[in-house]
Amino acid sequence: MHRLAIPNIGNYAVALAALGECLGVQSETCLSITPEMMALGAQYAPETCCLPMKAYLGHFVKAAREGVEYAVMVNSIGRCRLRYYGKLQQKILDDVGLKMHVFGLGYDGIKPPLIRYFDPTLRQVLHGGACYVNKLIAIDILEIEAWRTRPRELNSGDTSQLFKQTLQQLDKLTAVRDIRKFRKTIHERFAVVPIDATRPVLRIGLLGECSVLRDKYLNHNVEEMLGNLGAEVRNFFLMGTELKSIFNLGVLNKHSRKNQLKKARGHLHDPVGGHALDSVANAIRCHEQGYDGVVHICPAGCMPEVSIRPILRQACKERDFSLLELSFDEHTGHEGVCTRIEAFVDILWEKRRRQGFHET
Amino acid sequence: MKRECMNVYLGIDVGSISTNLVIVDGGGEVLFTLYDRGEGNPIRSIQQSLCRLEAELPSNMTIAGVCTTGSGGRLAAVVVGADLFKNEITAHARASIHLHPDVQTILEIGGQDSKLTIVRDRLVVDFSMNLVCAAGTGSFLDSQAKRLGISIEALSAAAVLSKNPTAIAGRCTVFAESDMIHKQQSGHRQNDILMGLCHAMVRNFLSNVCRGKKIRPPIVFQGGVSANQGIRRAFTEALQMEIMVPKYSMVMGAYGAALLAVQAGIVKTGFRGFAIAEHKIETRSLLCSDCANNCELLEIVDEGNLLRRTGGRCRKWDRSYFSGSEKVVVSDMATRAGALEDKDCSDNCCSES
Repeated sequence: MHRLAIPNIGNYAVALAALGECLGVQSETCLSITPEMMALGAQYAPETCCLPMKAYLGHFVKAAREGVEYAVMVNSIGRCRLRYYGKLQQKILDDVGLKMHVFGLGYDGIKPPLIRYFDPTLRQVLHGGACYVNKLIAIDILEIEAWRTRPRELNSGDTSQLFKQTLQQLDKLTAVRDIRKFRKTIHERFAVVPIDATRPVLRIGLLGECSVLRDKYLNHNVEEMLGNLGAEVRNFFLMGTELKSIFNLGVLNKHSRKNQLKKARGHLHDPVGGHALDSVANAIRCHEQGYDGVVHICPAGCMPEVSIRPILRQACKERDFSLLELSFDEHTGHEGVCTRIEAFVDILWEKRRRQGFHET
Repeated sequence: MKRECMNVYLGIDVGSISTNLVIVDGGGEVLFTLYDRGEGNPIRSIQQSLCRLEAELPSNMTIAGVCTTGSGGRLAAVVVGADLFKNEITAHARASIHLHPDVQTILEIGGQDSKLTIVRDRLVVDFSMNLVCAAGTGSFLDSQAKRLGISIEALSAAAVLSKNPTAIAGRCTVFAESDMIHKQQSGHRQNDILMGLCHAMVRNFLSNVCRGKKIRPPIVFQGGVSANQGIRRAFTEALQMEIMVPKYSMVMGAYGAALLAVQAGIVKTGFRGFAIAEHKIETRSLLCSDCANNCELLEIVDEGNLLRRTGGRCRKWDRSYFSGSEKVVVSDMATRAGALEDKDCSDNCCSES
């Protein structure tokens, strides 16, 4: 059996691994990278590369040392450096002397690379696709439920515990029918968590680059940190939404590029690359929907996110909307992140109190 | 004559350089302040400070609430049994707004970090903190004073005497130091070099921390470095505005924490008493090798009793929780296989390092 390293994208690793396994390859992936991978990535990647690139490379180097022969990397025709990373990683792995073949996931000849290298049957491809999509939707639901429950839970940690258990069970399912059935039970599972429905919570949007938004190691788990401080988080990277936008599905897709451009008009007229346009558009959307604030998560060296930082700052300033800018690299200290997040939450609570005071 | 019993509140700020204690009464009036240079051992420093506090505190005062803050605040909270832990940005702003209700900008420079807090109408609206670089903080001034063989107080006094400060490169402490040595070797007066250094630090603060944020008067300058007259002068000259230094500028973090303790409405305090100053409180580090994260755990042990463990990325080692912000990192970050496999919590998988 071939072994394939899949870049980590948080909990979606479960869905991606299912896809790989249906195609007859053993998937090497993780829910979040480890300090060891990060150290390897920082060691071999060029210093000025962005943080996700270092994380991916570290993952591949570790996998290659464990004897994994293949790796897959996104090579979308976007406008950020991500499109070259497959090639760059291949070169770095060659230079290090590791035998690993990195192929792109996007257009790479007539036959898609996954099919060219692993030659699965049509049945396998269909089954894999169905498994992947269904697990993906299940994880999306899971994430949304967790955002809602975490700030309201009575016993801290219940949500995270349930989340982990559910993900474990989901990972074990292989039949499409079971996954669908399982998906429908997620709401019921979370309904059991004891919550205080009347507790006031803050609403905070998380914007930024997708892999840092999703990887708990890279972002120091800000999602849970905010949840535990009593904020209902909305993380603007959901793979389901993302796929819809990529394949242009759904006429009413609010997050399609066209709609995002419309939303960001007056601030940004060009999809800079990566998720930069989405960051600006979603910040404005958050303001319109009455969120208390947004947290912009920017990996060090990320061209699109770094270039829209002043634009985002201006857009929030004009609207008197609270924005916390966090920049992450491999040296970012945990204590500093905690302090900033806690102070930001304090500010939002004070603001909320003051507004409530004026209204009454 | 028997005096009436009085409830007082304790604020503790454990910073990188110093440990500060402030006692306030129920109305927020300062009764007692203490500034202690920690010398790298926060627990001992807390214990020593508590010792001194106990000796000076009148017997009719009882501590009704404790709040800790600062980079070592979480550790301090465990050691003293605090009721509350607050981040230092909120704590500092709380004290400033209490002393100067009309404040609009708070500049705070401590031992290892520097912060700018923007206040409008008694409400914190924005803040920024220095990033990885410690250029422009108290520890750099400290090391320069040590290099020149003078005390930090002497540095402060010497800098203000300068009439023509020299230009020192302030972008990076390493370059600043070599620039200072260069100026020194070419014969500049020490006063001028020291004032140049103060200017460089302020320039660094304004360009790195303030970065385009609107600084409006009244401005309050606090934190350990606010005692330095050279820096005060440099700020006044750079901003062309008057800088206020509050009476308790050195211990504002602890003061703010004490005020927060007053405000919190604590019914019964978890304060473990002054006796802990005599206890033997130790820390042990452990290495958990259950997953690929290899977390470094820290155990805080008081006279053989485990107070708590910190440092794990997952929950399994944290038996006792403290406050909302303490449960920050609770989920597994290991590989898919590792994270999805249920492992029991057992002490034998831990090797002492």
